[in-house]
Amino acid sequence: MTIPGSELEIHESDGPVGDDAVVSVAGRSPTQLAIARFRSDKLSMVSFVLTVFIIVCAIAAPILVAFGVLDPNDPHQDLLASDGVVPQGSFGGVSWSHPFGVDPGLGRDLLSRLMLAITSSLTIALTGTVLTVLIGSVLGIVAGFSGGIVDAVVGRIIDLTLSFPQTMMLLALASPVVLMFRNDVSTFPGLGFFEKADLANGFFVIVILAVFGWPPVARVVRGQVLSIREREFIEAARLLGASRSRLYFKEVLPNVWAPVLVYVTLLVPAYISAEAAFNFLGVGIKPPTPTLGNILADSVSYTSADPTYFFLPGALLALIVVVFNLVGDGARDALDPKSHR
Amino acid sequence: MLAYVIRRLFAGVIMLIVMSIVTFALFFASPIDQASFICGKNCSAAQKEQTAAAMGYDDSFANQWLDFAQGVVKGRDFPDDPALRETAPETIVHCDAPCLGYSRERGDTVTNLIKDTFPVSFSLAIAAFILWMIGGILLGVTAALKKGTVIDRGLVGLSLIAYAFPTFFVGLVLYKFVAIKWGLTELPRYTSIAEGGVGGWLSSLTLPAITLAVFFMAAYVRMTRSYVIESFQEDYVRTARSKGLPERTVTYKHALRAALTPIVTMAGLDFAGLMGGAIITESVFNYPGMGKLAVLASSDFDLPTTVGLVILLAAFVILANIIVDLLYAVIDPRVRLG
Amino acid sequence: MAFKKPLAALAATALAATLAACGGSDGDNESSGGPAEKGGEAIFFIGPRSVEHWDPQRMYIGRDLNNSGRLFYRSLVALPASNDPVEGTTPVADLATDTGTTADGGKSWNFTVRDDVKWEDGKAITCEDFKYGASRNFATDVIIGGPANYLFTYLDIPTDADGLPQYKGPYTKKGQELFDKAVTCDGQTITYRFKKAWPDFPLSIAQLRYLDPYREDLDKGDANNFVVISNGPYKIDGTWKEGTGGKFVRNENWDESTDPIRKAYPDTWDFREGDTDEAIYEQLLADSGDAQRAVTERRLPPALFSRKDEAGDRYSQVESPYVDYVLPNFNSPVFKDANCREALKLATDRAAWIKAGGGENYFKQADSVVNPGVPGYQKNAAFDAMGASGDVDGAKAALDKCSAPKPVKIKFTYSGGTPTSDKQASALKAGWDKAGFETELDPLEDTYYSVIQKPDADFDVTWGGWGADWASIGTVIPPLFDSRINLTGSSNGNDYGNYKGGAEVDKLIDEAYAEPDLEAAAEKWAAVDAKLGEDVAYIPLEITIFNFVHGSKVTGYANNVSVNGYADLAVLGVEK
Repeated sequence: MTIPGSELEIHESDGPVGDDAVVSVAGRSPTQLAIARFRSDKLSMVSFVLTVFIIVCAIAAPILVAFGVLDPNDPHQDLLASDGVVPQGSFGGVSWSHPFGVDPGLGRDLLSRLMLAITSSLTIALTGTVLTVLIGSVLGIVAGFSGGIVDAVVGRIIDLTLSFPQTMMLLALASPVVLMFRNDVSTFPGLGFFEKADLANGFFVIVILAVFGWPPVARVVRGQVLSIREREFIEAARLLGASRSRLYFKEVLPNVWAPVLVYVTLLVPAYISAEAAFNFLGVGIKPPTPTLGNILADSVSYTSADPTYFFLPGALLALIVVVFNLVGDGARDALDPKSHR
Repeated sequence: MLAYVIRRLFAGVIMLIVMSIVTFALFFASPIDQASFICGKNCSAAQKEQTAAAMGYDDSFANQWLDFAQGVVKGRDFPDDPALRETAPETIVHCDAPCLGYSRERGDTVTNLIKDTFPVSFSLAIAAFILWMIGGILLGVTAALKKGTVIDRGLVGLSLIAYAFPTFFVGLVLYKFVAIKWGLTELPRYTSIAEGGVGGWLSSLTLPAITLAVFFMAAYVRMTRSYVIESFQEDYVRTARSKGLPERTVTYKHALRAALTPIVTMAGLDFAGLMGGAIITESVFNYPGMGKLAVLASSDFDLPTTVGLVILLAAFVILANIIVDLLYAVIDPRVRLG
Repeated sequence: MAFKKPLAALAATALAATLAACGGSDGDNESSGGPAEKGGEAIFFIGPRSVEHWDPQRMYIGRDLNNSGRLFYRSLVALPASNDPVEGTTPVADLATDTGTTADGGKSWNFTVRDDVKWEDGKAITCEDFKYGASRNFATDVIIGGPANYLFTYLDIPTDADGLPQYKGPYTKKGQELFDKAVTCDGQTITYRFKKAWPDFPLSIAQLRYLDPYREDLDKGDANNFVVISNGPYKIDGTWKEGTGGKFVRNENWDESTDPIRKAYPDTWDFREGDTDEAIYEQLLADSGDAQRAVTERRLPPALFSRKDEAGDRYSQVESPYVDYVLPNFNSPVFKDANCREALKLATDRAAWIKAGGGENYFKQADSVVNPGVPGYQKNAAFDAMGASGDVDGAKAALDKCSAPKPVKIKFTYSGGTPTSDKQASALKAGWDKAGFETELDPLEDTYYSVIQKPDADFDVTWGGWGADWASIGTVIPPLFDSRINLTGSSNGNDYGNYKGGAEVDKLIDEAYAEPDLEAAAEKWAAVDAKLGEDVAYIPLEITIFNFVHGSKVTGYANNVSVNGYADLAVLGVEK
């Protein structure tokens, strides 16, 4: 689902955005205006706080595990019913020491596993987003500025990428590429960490997300570049002898970041959802390392015996996605008050 | 116009060729020993070599792709062994052009496999499409008209939540709880029109179609709503209102018409993408469509089937893009085809 | 030549004890629905694991071998529908006039094909059909997948330098003269000639399908993968669709009077593929709709076990023929040292593995790689020291003597992907880590076999599972641990642990093979197993226990040992 271009236009700026000293005398910069608008929107602020909370959880989880506060791997098979599978007690074994219950089969603490899962899922989603935006922005700027053949070639590459059936390629390539990472890539100096299954699997998902996700970003960035490249300040910078890269990164990029930022806030939840879906199909980080996707995939076998184990991670996933989406909506509205709620 | 279409089709064919090369290359570079999947577990090294030779997997990358390309144009024989053709011609399968390959794992030509699975995926896509378009547009217009009210907020909120649940989760809830645990519907099992009549066919599509539609409906509600609101603010709508036209006419004849254009074009692209993207829904409900075939093919590294599916699905997307661009030009005279 | 009596007694004691203890089936097990009658439409839920081949020379999955043998593929001999441990594993004549004769201790076997048996299109079944069927096993470049290796090893055809037989199958006809000398037809009598004695050859015919007859005029090679050319009570209606299944209807050219084994009560059999285990069992437990007339080979998922009482007497429990075990990799730097292997063995917590997989209702502790149901089984005393949950102190002591640097880092590569496999692996890891190992879990799915079959693969421990191809220990120990047939430069075959027994073990294996008296052979196999235990070539985990539920309208339901404990379709019926 691409975002219609019409919603992403920023309005005219009064001058080079990066130069705050000059502008502050004349009034607030568009950025500050945007932040103020965002602040005044209650829903966006609440979502923002929740987003920060989720990110903090994601960062804190591995630390808490290292300190022994969280315990995602220790089995407590004594907490399972006598037939050895389903947790005793209601709601999947909820108790004071296990606020979210335990998982069937091994009896591991679900709260710890879910917190760690957020870490994995968020890491993959954020890294994927960064990579996507990087590739898309660079190619979009290059295409928009160079025009001519370069632009046409990038355009064809975009068409090609968009025509590939992403999920199919993901499935077909998962085993071979991951194996390649673990056996061949890890032999390169400094890349030895690719031998680890989690890193290889996680990186494969990130790569697939980025490889298929960059075209829309490139298109948006290219559109932005096309609309500002004839402006006077670009002309001025060029006449003053600015190098290509200075042009790209110091003059163009600051004007382009707004729609890209909105895209980022919408990409992250989309990627979190996608990672879960991939895991459901068997691609991505495998157990025992928890991700939201593989916990859900595991819960599928226990839906009738332990529905809590199915609905809890699902609700958590939906919550994260909703919250990130709301932040994205808020950012979009703050940056472009012409668009509507 | 014709020149434009021909140009685009030509570019499309080139793209398909490139995609087939890329797919072949990816498989070729993979360290997986594909022959061992045919050969089975109890395979000696010599037998694996023999299997690889029989399937042409020990050939160079260029040869393998050229054989494939030749097959698409001229047709092909499997196995392509002249000695076998003499001694045991009945074991040779003749695959007519356009031949997308022969799958040893499934025991059939890729074309036949696609012939079997295509109707299922297509039925699913159509059913979901109708559901989400009708639901999405109607609800989106309603929300736009009642902007700011509880109904509007409710619809937007619901859409947001529905959009947040991944498709497989929705599918699992419908399959495992609605159908199985609470027994509210019959166990979903695909029935073709031949088997169960139109009624049986439609009812077998209900749950999976809903699964697919939920996500898109949520997105389309929001999208329709914002487009309609935007077009309400256009000058020509204000003009229409000030002319004294009834609100109904303003809404449906003017505002909605304008909003429909981008919606319909988006829908076309989404529909095309759906043909290959319903993998998850087909897996959850176990419907024998192209998505399920893709899952089977990837679990035993069935290169011919994978290549065939990639090309077919990409062809859909490319075709849909061309049609959508043409439609855009037809609907909006300001657009010029370039 | 059937089993000698004393061995039969051995088998009887072993099996009867295990089966009876499980509360499983005995001779007449009519659990529901009353005696079977003709008519009705039966359903078989295949589940998520699709049928890979219906071509008899390519089949190797127990479920498909058994079902096809009961419904549409007959052979020279077959196993009667019986749960008696002796009767159920003794072949009786099927398409042949008797159970085969050998005048030279098993180096050649003669069977005479009956005159009154036909294919589904009315054509008579001839000796040539059997000869042709056997020959197809050699065409491994066109069709492959079945247990053809047994024929390659035994049939009197010379091999090339690369280890493959010089006969290349009936499609290319290379080396056809060699085959025509090894398998001959004299009227309706077929003679198979072997390189060495094969005393239990008839069992191999009965329990596998690779010696089934085949129609040369209908053979299309690979394209016949899902084609069923029937000579049994049912034939296929239309074509088989992978992922969906197919329907079987009555074969009018099957004559009941020629077939004492198959009762063919239902009018049709509907085989359905693709449903998940949960979906199948939710329906079976609820006994809803079509499920009332259904049976399945899929097992009741552990998550649903607590609801088994809903099924009442439609529930049955049987010990399977499968054993799971753990293999230390003899090529790994850690497990080259016997002390490290000993430590691994003592640290293995079988009870935790069992509990993680579903508990005592799903697994029973195994004390050998051989399943107790195989005639001649003996407990392997080398594993007594393990106890039910391992011996942590003993393991720690052994680990101290282990030469690898501490903590001993090991990588456990296993076939993941099912909900229980990851949990079971974690349970083992917990036990090993308690003793001082540091285990890295490495689940693989599709790539599992291509990874662990490489001799230079870098795992330290892996997992394996096996069931005897037919009721003989000779189909368990040698395929898994005889380095001569498994280890090549590029693959370790089924010997994933790269175990090399050396001259001593090789001699013991050869002697056991050559022993014509099956009871004495059992003793010899036990000696090999003891040596394997001493070397810690493997660590036994558990025997899978089947938990089945069938529909209420199914009649004559029986889990017979003659079909490996699965539902015996030969005697099943459904109420209309």
